[in-house]
Amino acid sequence: MPEHAIETDNLTKKFERKAKAEGGGFRQLYRRIRIKKEQIVAVDHISFQIRRGELFGLLGPNGAGKTTTIKLLCTLLIPDEGTAKVNGYDVVSEAEEVQKSLGVVTGGERGLYWRLTGRENLWFFSQLYDVPDRIAKGRIERLLKLVELEERADDQVEKYSRGMKQRLHVIRGLVNDPPILLLDEPTLGLDPASARVIRDFIKKELQGEQNKTILHTTHYMEEADQLCDRIAIIDNGKIIALDTPENLKKTVQRTDVIEMHVSNLRQEDSEKIGTLEGVKKSVVTFTESTVGEATIKIHAEKAEEVMPLATESLIKSGARILTLEQTKPTLEDVFISMTGRKLRD
Amino acid sequence: MNPTKDWRTFKAVFLRNLKLYTSYKIWIVSTVIWPIPLLALNVYQYMAFGTEANVSEALRQYGGIGMIVVGTIVYLLYNRLLWGTGVSIQSERWMGTVEVLFLTPTNKMIILLASGLSSLIEASWWIVSIFLSGWAIFGVEPQVSSLPAVIASIISTMAALVSVGVFFAGFFVLTRAADQLASGLQAPIRFFSGVAFPVSALPQMLQYISYMIPVTYGILALRKCVLQACDLTGIWIDLAPLWLMTMVFLILGKVALRIVERRAKKTGTLYLY
Repeated sequence: MPEHAIETDNLTKKFERKAKAEGGGFRQLYRRIRIKKEQIVAVDHISFQIRRGELFGLLGPNGAGKTTTIKLLCTLLIPDEGTAKVNGYDVVSEAEEVQKSLGVVTGGERGLYWRLTGRENLWFFSQLYDVPDRIAKGRIERLLKLVELEERADDQVEKYSRGMKQRLHVIRGLVNDPPILLLDEPTLGLDPASARVIRDFIKKELQGEQNKTILHTTHYMEEADQLCDRIAIIDNGKIIALDTPENLKKTVQRTDVIEMHVSNLRQEDSEKIGTLEGVKKSVVTFTESTVGEATIKIHAEKAEEVMPLATESLIKSGARILTLEQTKPTLEDVFISMTGRKLRD
Repeated sequence: MNPTKDWRTFKAVFLRNLKLYTSYKIWIVSTVIWPIPLLALNVYQYMAFGTEANVSEALRQYGGIGMIVVGTIVYLLYNRLLWGTGVSIQSERWMGTVEVLFLTPTNKMIILLASGLSSLIEASWWIVSIFLSGWAIFGVEPQVSSLPAVIASIISTMAALVSVGVFFAGFFVLTRAADQLASGLQAPIRFFSGVAFPVSALPQMLQYISYMIPVTYGILALRKCVLQACDLTGIWIDLAPLWLMTMVFLILGKVALRIVERRAKKTGTLYLY
């Protein structure tokens, strides 16, 4: 058995898309007919290894390359450069063995037959994974019980709530009892209670009890922090940091983090914050731009020196400070310190 | 090649399609009632030009209204199988399941064949519905002397049409416009295969196109054995091209599926919907 459940080496995926035609009249028409294409590097030479039994997180904002990485690993995409192995099998030349080794769980409403019942969905996929009927039926019962869906198992999926569908998604990925699971944003769009149920199931049951190797993508930093043994932070297709959550946070330990909620803030005044003395990075996110409501995160060398300067600057500009606090660094601060942006920008 | 695994896949896809199809009770309307107006449309195109007796006399040399009944049956079979097989990948896209399906270690040809054969269940109701309405409404009386010839004609036609569906399915993996392509093929196939008139009535140049379409041979074979009491010796000349087309389209379909699946995974178009 290979040491690593998943390993990638310089894995790269590029896509082509139509370039926007600029200008008007005949020129634009001509450009549209010519269909100029531009290349986008979705995954850019990424290399990482995941140990057996490890819960590994891929954390990054939307469009960072998380889902493309998952699709490369589960054989839905063919890489343009580099290699990837899952359970020791190459994702291109040994795709069928890779598929047998994997359970893939996606977030959202897709991936289930809504007009079939939950039980019928699970049975269908178990057969496609060549699980003998007798084993499949017993396993399906156990899985339904694990996620407390046994009472609704014979209802059509279209009658399920979002959280129930997501629980069904998760156990659909387990019908073939795979050693490795790829979970792509499994809590996306769920209410806090449903998301907690899924997170507990991943940590306690899948990793704790069943010892599965899990690659978990998310853009929720709290989720990655809470669940993962190690985290790779991905941005613009590149892995910009990879370590345990604690070690990642240590990289910004010498940085003081100030968080402010303000109103009446104008765009041009918000940009002044970053120019204040002692400010390393600042990110302003407008939550209600019409009334100038925003959250400001400041990374400073010394909070006690920057706080008076920042408050003075804001008050002078006519903004109202609603809250002001010094916080502990989070994974989001790691991301800010590296990219100058928030994870959810 | 793993027969047990392929059988599990086939059984699961076949049963799933039946359940999806019958999950809404309205399926009875589309299965039993929908084909009747189509048959009536084809028949009344002739009726509009004279009394029933006159038209029947003119049509008699080609098998009367029965000619239209058989043509409509084979055309509907083609239609159903093209949608059931060729558009099955597109249907998975609509349902949002194409990716999870392609994640499974299955033979995709088996999925397509099972989709095609499950759509035959629906198509077989259409055949019954059209035969009954042809007999009850238009007074068509079949002249069958050889049941094996009828069965051989139906099976050969279905096999050829499923293989055409598999062939198209390969190309439809690449596009989101599979339904538009399939719709676009409906009128030309209906025209060239002689659904409501004999192909011999077409200009010679157009007949060359007709004889490249399996639907044409299916209609010819069934008209002969259902309306003209031909046995196997009288229809083998129509069945042989069907068998040849079945083999050619299946082989091409398998190759096309492999090539386009790889291309779709390379360009990232598999998951477009």
